[in-house]
Amino acid sequence: MKKLCLTLSLSICFAGLGALVTRAQVPLPQLQWFPAGAGVELPGQLTFANAGGRLGILNADGPVNTKGHPFFEPLGINGRACVTCHQPSNAMSLAVDTIRERWQATSGKDPLFAAIDGSDNPSLPQDRETSHSLLLNRGLFRVGLPWPPAQNPTPEFTVEIVRDPTGVNRDPVWGLKAARPTVSVFRRPRPVANLKYVLAPDNGPFNVKMGVLLDKDPATGKPVSMNMMADARAATLAIQAESAYRDHQEGKGQLRQDQWTRIIAFESQVYAAQVFDNGAKDLTEAGGPDGLGPLNLLQETAGVLNSPAKPVFLAFDSWKSSTEFRQSVARGNEIFLNRTFWVKDVAHINSIALGNPAKRSCAVCHNAVMSGMDRAPGWVDLGTTNYPTWTEPKTWNEPGELPVFKLTCRADARPHPYLGRVIYTSDPGRALITGKCADIGAITMGQFRGLAARAPYFSNGSAKNLRELVDYYDRRFDMGLTTQEKQDLINFLGVL
Amino acid sequence: MSRVCGLLVVLLFAAAQLHAQNLSFVTCPIVRDTKTVPCWLAEYKGETYYLGNQGGVAQDFYPPQLNHDVLVEGVLAGGPRVCGGIPLRPVKTSVFPEINRACNTILPAEDAIEAPQSPPRPATGEAVSWVRSDGPADSTLYFDFDNDFLSLHTSTAVQRLAQYFQQSKASEIEIAAFRGSSKLSNGEVLTEHRDIAAARAAKVRDILIGLGVPATALKVQVVGEARTPDGINDPWSRRVTVSVKKP
Repeated sequence: MKKLCLTLSLSICFAGLGALVTRAQVPLPQLQWFPAGAGVELPGQLTFANAGGRLGILNADGPVNTKGHPFFEPLGINGRACVTCHQPSNAMSLAVDTIRERWQATSGKDPLFAAIDGSDNPSLPQDRETSHSLLLNRGLFRVGLPWPPAQNPTPEFTVEIVRDPTGVNRDPVWGLKAARPTVSVFRRPRPVANLKYVLAPDNGPFNVKMGVLLDKDPATGKPVSMNMMADARAATLAIQAESAYRDHQEGKGQLRQDQWTRIIAFESQVYAAQVFDNGAKDLTEAGGPDGLGPLNLLQETAGVLNSPAKPVFLAFDSWKSSTEFRQSVARGNEIFLNRTFWVKDVAHINSIALGNPAKRSCAVCHNAVMSGMDRAPGWVDLGTTNYPTWTEPKTWNEPGELPVFKLTCRADARPHPYLGRVIYTSDPGRALITGKCADIGAITMGQFRGLAARAPYFSNGSAKNLRELVDYYDRRFDMGLTTQEKQDLINFLGVL
Repeated sequence: MSRVCGLLVVLLFAAAQLHAQNLSFVTCPIVRDTKTVPCWLAEYKGETYYLGNQGGVAQDFYPPQLNHDVLVEGVLAGGPRVCGGIPLRPVKTSVFPEINRACNTILPAEDAIEAPQSPPRPATGEAVSWVRSDGPADSTLYFDFDNDFLSLHTSTAVQRLAQYFQQSKASEIEIAAFRGSSKLSNGEVLTEHRDIAAARAAKVRDILIGLGVPATALKVQVVGEARTPDGINDPWSRRVTVSVKKP
């Protein structure tokens, strides 16, 4: 009777969206879109269909009553909640397909499309699709960062705007010449799940890549991972929650302590991973790989470095003699772990003790067990945002959706290790926080879990699907992957 | 024992110099692929020298960078060629920050050339070229040319000093930072940037404060004048000395 009541209430609540939620870990019915302020119970376990199969969400603390819960209720003035951009069905991130569906369903009226960062430029007419093109086409939100950065009022480089297709960087209110000078870049929302892996700091107090101390949690004084955000600008979940309340929800004043405490409590117990793959089938069955599914994410220890005894996503041995698809996944895992190639010209990978180039495998950089992130602070210039300086024709002059900035380093600054003193970039990344040339284009690597539920990939949404992601690495590092090897990697990434 | 270990690398360098030739030169590094790990080479006056293997942050040898010139300061070690080059041991390599795209040589693997077994990661406190520890209260930290980067070994040494300061209830830590210079084998002298000693002092100071040492307990001296280089001991001129003082 209780279950019937829940189902009925949810049916009423989401009748307009054609969506339902269930307590059981079965795919039907589902809640594909969770609106802010829904006020319903989020079950302890639930699954969501996606193109690759089904994603599983596990609330380790049990069902979550979202009524009045600050993660699920709008707190600011624009009607958004945290859940607006961190949807359970999208592995607590947001897929571009979901964004398009919301536009269609609401004619662009959903708070998701709030002018402040859900549009290309808050000064554009907000009722037009073209004013939200980066969100609709690439899943990108505007991130406006003060320039010069608060952390470094005398940055090592100047910023010029080369291309500004959205107009926001030259906008008199929002741009670089505004009363509060701002550089706007466009980034994907990162998954708010499996966070014990994201937040686990490296051993010791140091950022071994930079030879400096890790940032600290101001509340505890303990070192933090610096791996939470694309530019590592927020040390803790509390700081991130506060800035998201202010910047994304347009909240006034500050969050109350009880609000951010509940937000953090929810975020810290939610796990997301694919549980069913159309090719590999049940990913959580007994005897299967130990690294798959949200329950294994709950049970494994965070902060562990890849090793032969404990590979990044644990063992896939049982699938080496299984179905053809599962064998492909196991081969993809082997390529990820062991296939070496020349890793070249990646700032904060090659420029540290590894040397340039370094003959390494994917897992050397993506080395944190269960997440595939870097256990050390993981911002690197992979080349997704910076333009190669030596290309002919000059590709930054080509038309494109993203802004392009020309950054010129001071003569007394240490230059970017592989691009020198004049760098063209669509997102300076970590350098917008530190003001350092060496950090230009460095973006913190993201976790690998729930990938099938949250395309597109890379911080700027430049890989529409896993094929494009694998192709990018193959081109970037001249890996020489065969068609089969690419498919093996795609299948492997898809089950995570 | 720790004092002996701490002195080992520097003494090896000095002892080697009694019988072997020091070499210092600036060149493009070369990476050679092998069946196992790549190894790093450098050419000088038509000869090829072996620098070390591809490594990691825990190794003593940090490999150089293609697209950059490198300052090589080493001692001819004698013995057979390694990975096709005459071994320099010990050797320090300093990557120059400006880009030189002519430095782009990757040699293919050849059946006859094998990389040597990489040395095991130095254990904590084991002698490395980055640090000389003279007991728990005194360490000398060494740096690459024109660089204030603290390696894993160097930063770990600073952490040990901070812990010793706190455990021993010491009153003061003296930091003395130096600017170095290097005499190349062709007679040319390279001198570090004039602000480098201050940058090194600031890095060490900030870390000690971050590790809980009161700023008021730190006494910092910056030596901006570089010593006259001799082409032998130059890698040890780029340094910061840290001494924990008891009341």
